[in-house]
Amino acid sequence: MASLTPTLRPLACWKSILRHTRQQKAATRSLTTFRKPKPFTGPIADQVPTPHVNRKLKVLPPPPSVAALYKEPIKDLTEDQIRVLDPTGARTRLFSKTNTEAAKVGDVLLVRLKNGDPFAGVCINIRRRGIDTGILLRNELTRVGVEMWFKIYSPNVEGVEVVQRRAKRARRARLTYMRKPKHDMGSVQSIVAAYQRTRVGARTSNANDEGKKGGKRKVKGKK
Amino acid sequence: MIQLKTMLNCIDNSGAAVVECAKVLKMKRHAKIGDRIIVVVQKQRNFSESGPGASVSTSAANKVRRGDIRHAVVVRTKKKLQRPDGSVVKFDDNACVLINKAGEPIGTRLNGVVGTELRKMKWSKILSLAPMHL
Repeated sequence: MASLTPTLRPLACWKSILRHTRQQKAATRSLTTFRKPKPFTGPIADQVPTPHVNRKLKVLPPPPSVAALYKEPIKDLTEDQIRVLDPTGARTRLFSKTNTEAAKVGDVLLVRLKNGDPFAGVCINIRRRGIDTGILLRNELTRVGVEMWFKIYSPNVEGVEVVQRRAKRARRARLTYMRKPKHDMGSVQSIVAAYQRTRVGARTSNANDEGKKGGKRKVKGKK
Repeated sequence: MIQLKTMLNCIDNSGAAVVECAKVLKMKRHAKIGDRIIVVVQKQRNFSESGPGASVSTSAANKVRRGDIRHAVVVRTKKKLQRPDGSVVKFDDNACVLINKAGEPIGTRLNGVVGTELRKMKWSKILSLAPMHL
């Protein structure tokens, strides 16, 4: 090709050479993306269709299903989480429906918190939702009614103690009527203070190894 | 849920007993515990009920008068307030503490429990005055 170009303009030959190479390159580039067809093997005469035989298709078993392993995944997950957050199972028992000694609505409960200041109040609602189980406590502080929800499995909750049980079983699931002035218990601070005094007395006379977990043990011992 | 026209108890000794919310500051929604609002004093503490023209000698210690427009901080709400740890707190009334424009409380004493959210909102002066926080 280069020889065909006129010698008068030697540089002009480069243009055609480069154009040529560019075309080649483009061709190769486009070819690389092509799927190569299978090489044609032999003449058509070789490819005589084999007579149809009733071949059995190999049926592979389906991969093992995860659904079969975990029939109730949410339940398993909840149990796992509860096992982690409540290793002794004390809280589960304290709020289980089947346990006759469990805390019920209307009981005065004391929630000890990690940050130090406990909260006590009448339990007016227990919301049983697995790991999200919570209790609603109502108390009166400085003559102002205060209600607090606590998650019983929360790591911030060190322990829940039953201070006083309701004299008669409540015939409602939620005692929201206790917000009304007619039914309001008012402050339970005096009841809690009396309970704590007896606890301290019991602790000093009983054993000295009851440390931080004393509350939980007390709850268990009541059962 | 403190918004326009909400009546709040004033729990400090500034002289106001009941105030009405006139504006929630710095946001376009209702105020919660720790939020700053503008209030109008509606009712004075220890105010003689003989009439509007009565002497205010009994309220000489009162730093605010009926009709005054002041800033205030919400310290208790009836609306449930959820904490980051999942616990929820709810009080039986809406209450606030009057402050001046600089953010210092006008009263010198508080009577009543206040929400701990005030700490998060940097109202430590009010928290230290309060007899109890929750």
